[in-house]
Amino acid sequence: MFHFAMKNLAIKKAQTLLVILSIVLSAGVAVLAYNVSGQVNDGITGTAAYYSAIIGPSGSKTQLAMNTMYFSDEPLGTIPYEVISELQQDMRVASVVPFAMADSYNGYSVVGTSTDFLSGKNVSQGEMFSAAGSFEAVLGANVARVSGVRVGDQIYTSHSVGETHKTPYTVTGILQETHTVYDNVVFTQLQTIWAAHEEEEEEHEEGHEEEHEHEEMNGMVCAVLVRTLNPTYAMTLVNDYDGRIFMSRDGGSHTLQAIEPMDTVRGILQDADTTRYIVFILCAIILVMNVMMIIIITLLNLYHSAGEIRLMRLIGISMRKINLLYLIQNLVVGFAAVLLAFLLSRVCLLLMRDYVAQMGVVLNASKVYPLEAVLLAAVFIINLLPTMICTWRMAGQEGINN
Amino acid sequence: MIQLHQVSKHFHNETAIRYSDMVFEDGHSYLLLGASGCGKSTLLNLIAGIISPDTGEIIINGRVMTNESQQVRDAFRIRSIGYIFQDFKLIEDMTVQDNIDILRLEGVDVSHAAGLFAALGMQEKRNKKVRQLSGGEKQRVAIVRALVKQPDIILADEPTGNLNFSIGEQVMRELAETARGKTLITVTHDERLASYFDHVVDMNEMTSGGLFDAPSDSREVM
Repeated sequence: MFHFAMKNLAIKKAQTLLVILSIVLSAGVAVLAYNVSGQVNDGITGTAAYYSAIIGPSGSKTQLAMNTMYFSDEPLGTIPYEVISELQQDMRVASVVPFAMADSYNGYSVVGTSTDFLSGKNVSQGEMFSAAGSFEAVLGANVARVSGVRVGDQIYTSHSVGETHKTPYTVTGILQETHTVYDNVVFTQLQTIWAAHEEEEEEHEEGHEEEHEHEEMNGMVCAVLVRTLNPTYAMTLVNDYDGRIFMSRDGGSHTLQAIEPMDTVRGILQDADTTRYIVFILCAIILVMNVMMIIIITLLNLYHSAGEIRLMRLIGISMRKINLLYLIQNLVVGFAAVLLAFLLSRVCLLLMRDYVAQMGVVLNASKVYPLEAVLLAAVFIINLLPTMICTWRMAGQEGINN
Repeated sequence: MIQLHQVSKHFHNETAIRYSDMVFEDGHSYLLLGASGCGKSTLLNLIAGIISPDTGEIIINGRVMTNESQQVRDAFRIRSIGYIFQDFKLIEDMTVQDNIDILRLEGVDVSHAAGLFAALGMQEKRNKKVRQLSGGEKQRVAIVRALVKQPDIILADEPTGNLNFSIGEQVMRELAETARGKTLITVTHDERLASYFDHVVDMNEMTSGGLFDAPSDSREVM
């Protein structure tokens, strides 16, 4: 029966491929859209959930969150390191990680921080920079690959175009590829950023060169990432620091901003939700059109197969067997189409991985949401229905005449 | 033995055919002659259980087939009746062998096909698509499909109707030889084939009613 069903499909190659293609494209796109949306959402909120609070200079909350978590956008400015010292004394705080972004290497951002910032990340070659050392760097996998840098090499960072720091950084390690923004960043000790900038200031003073507009970095950070002992402490910490005017020892005043990254990211995602819903609606429209197309193609196939069915009835093949024959054909077509749609969506996920990684999210091709399975099952059943209804109706007609 | 008792059949155009009581003995060959529309093909379809009579009974080997359901008649047809249709009723896009293998859907043993193909000189054509065959070759495929299940009864509707006389005669000879010992009922309007049969029946004398308005072949009633 199966063999004959396959032969029957083979002689209707064009129609069969049309049905499969129609299902693969529509169901594949729908499943892909749902999966990417889900994983981006989960990924962004997952990253944001790691830190309880971010404290930085006043300005855009979104810019502070995006700059510290996804290394995008420019830093809002700087705040004194004394904020970190104060936070380290705070009973509500579990850990504090400094964050400074000031320089670049071949266009890749250089982030000065502590080794805590890279906890959970592994090096594929070499080792992490030492906490006590200076001018050591750990490169993201993509930076190393594109720049052709190896462990032990020395690299020169620059503050702006044409302004290269004189002291080179020694590459101590290269991070494992994560397909996230971490692949495109150079990490070093916070004190290295300070030292590089101190060196630069000295050069300017000695050389009496033209005045350069650049941020005072020594003793400053762009932001502080905080993990609290208890999630409820985050809210009180943010209340305490948000809008606070911090007086540094040198007498400078700095207006701080504090955010709960989850809240900020949720706000960003809510804005993005409208786009997400539009994508879902478009997918739903594609699916509905696909269902109609499947029904039309199947009915046309059955119409064309009417002569064949009648012929089989004439030679004595029972309607039960004919039903089974067409059911097997549709099962095979449906299964192949749904499987290919699923595979297509996974291939697309792999292809999109690097692009989405720029948002700090690693798309996992093996991640399957329950609704995806439901969606594919629905398409599979819809593919079967027209044939089943038609052949059952034929089966209900007693006799072959009329 | 096939017996027809007070059988009649009405059609949608209100015409009707009434058949005289008839008996077809086991192992005999019959040639049914008659003008178009006299009910020859309808008779074959009635015996094959493809259509049901409106009145009367058709009894095959003591079994009243007219009392049976369509399912039972289908099962009987595929096992015990070899039907050679006038227009072959082959699936054109499939190969010759596939058209025989289709019977396996109902569990029919088709292992005798090779011998029949050889006997009819068709062994080289088994993997060809039916649409690539000539009319005579298609008729031979139809004969193999009808005989491969080794049926007790063979019904042939104008088996030479689509062939020129010399090929038609050859096909008829081959059919008569391969069907030897079976009950063979052949419908034709070509009296020249009479020599191949044990009995010749003039259907014009065996039917009555609105004969002349009746549909001429099974396709119109299916």
